[in-house]
Parts: sequence; structure tokens; C-alpha cells
Amino acid sequence: MFDEMRIVKIYIHMAAIRPRSSSFSRSTSVASNAVPGLKHGPNGTMFLSSGIQDLDKILGGGFTLGSLVMVMEDPEAPHHMLLLRNFMSQGLVHHQPLIYASPAKDPRGFLGTLPSVMVSKDDKSRAHESEQEKGLRIAWQYKKYFGEQNSDSQRDGKSEYCCDFDLRKPLERHFFTGKHIDCITLKDSADLTTFHDRCSSFLSQTPRTDGNVIGGRIAIQSLCSPQCEFSDKEWDMLSFVRSLKSLVRLSNSVAIITFPPSLVSPAFSKRLQHLADTLVSVKAIPDEDKELAKLLTGYQDMVGLLSMHKVARINTQVLNVSSDLTSSLK
Amino acid sequence: MAEWICRTLRDGGLEGEHAPALIIKDTIRCPLSSFVFDHVLSQLSSFILSNKSQSKGIVLVALSRSPLYYQQFLKSKGYDVVDSPCWIKALDCYSDPLGWKSKLVESGSILNRDPGSSFTSSLCKNVRDLDNLFSSIIEIGKELAGDGKGRFVVAIDSVSEMLRHTTVSSVAALLSNLRSHDQVCCLFWLLHSDLHETRATAALEYMSSMQASVEPMALPANGQIGNSMNLSLMEQNYRRGKFCVRVKRRNGRVRMMFEELCVEISGVKFAPVSSEDNVISQSLVPKVQFNLQLSEKELNDRAKVVLPFEHQDNGKTTQIYDGRKSLNEDETEIHEKVNSSGKGEIIYFRDSDDEMPDSDEDPDDDLDI
Repeated sequence: MFDEMRIVKIYIHMAAIRPRSSSFSRSTSVASNAVPGLKHGPNGTMFLSSGIQDLDKILGGGFTLGSLVMVMEDPEAPHHMLLLRNFMSQGLVHHQPLIYASPAKDPRGFLGTLPSVMVSKDDKSRAHESEQEKGLRIAWQYKKYFGEQNSDSQRDGKSEYCCDFDLRKPLERHFFTGKHIDCITLKDSADLTTFHDRCSSFLSQTPRTDGNVIGGRIAIQSLCSPQCEFSDKEWDMLSFVRSLKSLVRLSNSVAIITFPPSLVSPAFSKRLQHLADTLVSVKAIPDEDKELAKLLTGYQDMVGLLSMHKVARINTQVLNVSSDLTSSLK
Repeated sequence: MAEWICRTLRDGGLEGEHAPALIIKDTIRCPLSSFVFDHVLSQLSSFILSNKSQSKGIVLVALSRSPLYYQQFLKSKGYDVVDSPCWIKALDCYSDPLGWKSKLVESGSILNRDPGSSFTSSLCKNVRDLDNLFSSIIEIGKELAGDGKGRFVVAIDSVSEMLRHTTVSSVAALLSNLRSHDQVCCLFWLLHSDLHETRATAALEYMSSMQASVEPMALPANGQIGNSMNLSLMEQNYRRGKFCVRVKRRNGRVRMMFEELCVEISGVKFAPVSSEDNVISQSLVPKVQFNLQLSEKELNDRAKVVLPFEHQDNGKTTQIYDGRKSLNEDETEIHEKVNSSGKGEIIYFRDSDDEMPDSDEDPDDDLDI
């Protein structure tokens, strides 16, 4: 377990993120959003949070509803589990229905490793910030950036779009009650048809045309893991992912699939990558590497690298976030 | 580092974690992994016998070498496996892996001459049925460790042999089942990586938490075997090798360690890497066709360059070259040309002297608006 880590923070090493806001910006106030787990995005899309604040910022708000997210694992590091844990915890905190599938014998056991919401020391930090501001004399044209930060910290923990998760503490049990959590093992299935049917029935609960939007989450861990019998049937896996993508696009859910690209043939790895709407890869970093320590600041705290390859473009041709970023996980 | 690996295996995994799994790999160029396997086996045996380990026994799945070999090997190390209370049992998948011999015995064609021993717990007659193999391993392990909280070590001699008979996914399933079993303290197996496709090797590396590979120290040049120097290099590779370990740490970082391996009559010896064979660390600086680094001489020369517009504190007024040659300069230049023919010089003749080099006029003044 990660006894050294508390919250997952992602630090961006390449060019800083500057959200390109157009001169015509819709004035949607935050208060009008009734559902806590969802947020309005540009071009008529809605976002749900990935569970990690910095990742949401990189993505431009979160995962778009109706998109398929693929995470390329590094066989030497468990960072994809970190992303999955935060994703699932966030969903459970917001009472969004969840399906989790993994090649383990008992996937329910994974729920015990989900992190709990960090107890926010809001009052303390707010007082500290206002004190600091009195000392700083900020030029008037920069005050508009500070305005954003203040509004974020004023929200209550429960209705926050993205919570900070404490990896040292497990998620409270009361989040697990309820019929909206389903854990499936992929281990003994000869093929993916039964799982496919489960997914399609899950996704029909959150259709696009529904007025009452809740947002569902599907998390599939290590799809091409060698223990599963279907792992050498690459075309089957590909057609499963393709049909899952089309089902997800017609619904108000997000599906996240992690797979180890080195365990499938390169052609199939490329095909799977092309199928993704949002493509992220995680990479391990060598331990005690002096060269890296010289090149990267904060090397001691880093546990891995996260690269963004593609960000979902739904209803638009232009992205308002830059893709091809590499950030570090701490 | 080999000691470190053995200690990590001995300590096992934490509560709720999968058991640590070591894969020992080699290739034909330096086939010393079986020695490493034997070394790890003897180290773990010594830990168990001296009660330093939480595991109570070892289950050895013998596929490529006979259990008799292991009996003799452990005896040579001073561990008696036959008479003393049992802490190690072998699952014999070597003598009759596909059950042909027993069929012949049943039909009366041959006599069964195998006396059997207490070391060999049972004979596996169908290596293809990995579920059965799994349950046999667990059964033997429970016998050794006692029921309840007792744990045991599983050693698989040559997963390469297993892959001859079954698919990668069933072997991977077996390994993952063993790793996730509560009573398995740790697991290690041998693989000859050049016998299999890269995907199979990658899948088995994926199932492991530590990878130890034996690589040749010296590679023969040009791949020509006939050359006498290459022959001696190849012979060397049968006695010495480079032992590289990659460990997947809990926090997600990968630790790499290197050692030298030497096979002697008494066994295998590990030594820290000598300075001659430097570890080539992976540099993140991209490999380009031009030289990004500066040599010593270049660094010195760079320090000596006189920068324009910087006071050199030597009394002389700085002369800023403005492109126009005066008569004085002309003469000195001719002198210099004669004296220093080795230096490269850029000789530039301005087109005309009409152009004023530093003009304070605004070129837009000519416009008549």
C-alpha cells in the first residue's frame, strides 16, 4: 500500500496549462448545478470527476460523459490502480452507479482499498489565505485569477465536484451499501459476452435521453491480463471494446479501461489506443537514478509519470486543453 | 543483491498483498540461471531450517531436473532431505509428465523400477492439467506448513517446460493463483527467455514482482564463432555473467541492481560490479547526431572568449567592428595573414562605403505623409 502517499498530486513539467477561453463565454453560474457529481462543460457536454483534482484540470474539467477512457499500464508499476481507486471512490461518494471488473478472483476485495475523503481543514486554510492576501499587494489585473480559487474553497465537502482522497484511510462502509455497485471477475470467463451483456444492461440505466442525469461509471482493470482465457483472442477483445464504446456514447456514463500494451501485439495495441476517446499512459520511474534526480525537480517525491495522449473531443473539433503532456505523480 | 532478493523472498508479502514472485531468466548466450535457482533454493532452505523465515516448507515442482538431482544438491550443501523431518517436498513432473510410462507399466510392457523416496511426494502424470497441479501444490504445501497460518514457498523449476505443454494464459493463471493464495509465502520460477515469444516472456514478467536476468559479460564481436578470441569469450560466458535485477517496489518505482556472477565448483558467487564493466545508466538526454556535451578543452576555450560590450578591465578601449575597414586595419590584417596561416579568418569586404553603419535616422523619415 502507499504508506508514504496521502493525496495524489499531479505536477506538470512541460508548458503550463493555459485554458484558452474564447471571448464568448457562457455565463453559467455554479450554484444552478443541482447534481453534485457532474459539471457542465463546453459544447453541451457534461463532465464527471476523475477523483484527482490536478487530472481534472489537465483534462479541462474531468471525463466527458459518454466517453471511453483508456489507461495504458506499465507492467512494472501499479499506478493505474491509483487512478482507478480515485475514480471509483469519487463515484461512490457521489452515489453514482458503478461496475468494476478485474481479473482477480475476488474483485470485491479491491473495494476495501478505496481511499476515503480527506477531512478538509477548510476554515484553517481559508483564514490563512486571507491573511496572506493582505500581505500581498496584487495588481488589479491579476485579481481575476484569485477570484476562481476563492470560490472553489468555499464549497462543502459533500457537494464538491472533486474531492481530495486520503489514500491511507479506507472509504467508509456506508458508501458501499446500495445496489448500485457491481463487482465482476473476468478470470474464469472464456469470453467477454456475459460481461458485455452486464455492461449493456448497466448502461441502459443511464441513457442519454434521460432528463434526470446521474452519471454512471464503469471501471475495467487490466483487460488484456494474461490470466484470462480470452487474453489471446485479440479480435474478440477489440470488438468488445468497440461495442462498449458505442454503448457508452449513447449513455450518460464514463468507462475507464486499463490495459498493459506490452502484453498484446503492437498492432492491437495501436488499435485499442485509437478506440479510446481519452488516452492516458502511466509509467514507472527508476529508483535512485542520479541522472533523473538531476533532470527533474522533486524527484524524491515522485512515484511515476502520467502522459496524456488524447483528450475526448465530443461535439467539437477544437480542444481547449493541450494534449501530449507529461506530468508526474506524487 | 542476490542476498537481498533471498531476504525479500523470505520475508514474504504483507497482509492482503500478493506474495513476492521472482522470475529468473537467461538466454543461451549465458545459461547460468539454473545455478542461480539452486542458490536461491539453498538460501531459502537455510532460512527455513534456522527458523528465520515465516514459511515452514518448500514445495519444489521439478519439471526439467529430476528430484534426485535436488536431493543430491541439497545434501552437498549439508541439508539432509531424506532422514530429517520434512521441510521440503518435490512434486515430480520430470519422470513421467504425460503419463506414458505409467500406461506402459499398466499394459505390462515395462517394469516399474522406481523405488520412490520420501523426498518425492507425488508423481504428476499430467502436466497439462494445471488446475490439478495447482491443487497438488497446495495440498503438499498444507502438509508441510500445517493447517492454519503456516506458509510455504513454491519453487518451479523451469516454467519453460510448462509452456511446452500448455498455453501462456493457463500458466499465468496458475502463477497468479499461487501468488494470491494466503498460505504461499513467496514464489520463484525459472525461464529461458529465448525459447519463447516475447509476448509469453512479457506475460510472465508481468506476473512477477522481481526479475533477475543473467546476461553475458562480454559479447562476441561480429557474431563469428570460429574466431578464437570469440570462443574464449563464449567460454567465459559459461562461467561468468552479469546478474541484473529489476524490482517493482510498492510505491511504484523500479529499482535496478547489478552484480557479477561467477560459477565455481562450490557453487555460485556474487560480487559487486567491477569498475571496468560500467553500468550503462539510461540517459534521458536524447541521442542526437550532434554533440551536446562540451569537452574539457572546449569548456576552457569557452571561458576564454571575450564577449563584446563587456569590460575586460585591461585598459584597452573595446573596438566594435563596424564593417568598415580603415587603412590601419588593412595593414595589420596583412601582417596577420602572413603570420597566422593556420587560423581561419572571415574576410568580408563591404559592398560600398556609402552605407552608414550606425544611423540615428529613422528610416521612416523619408516617407512623406
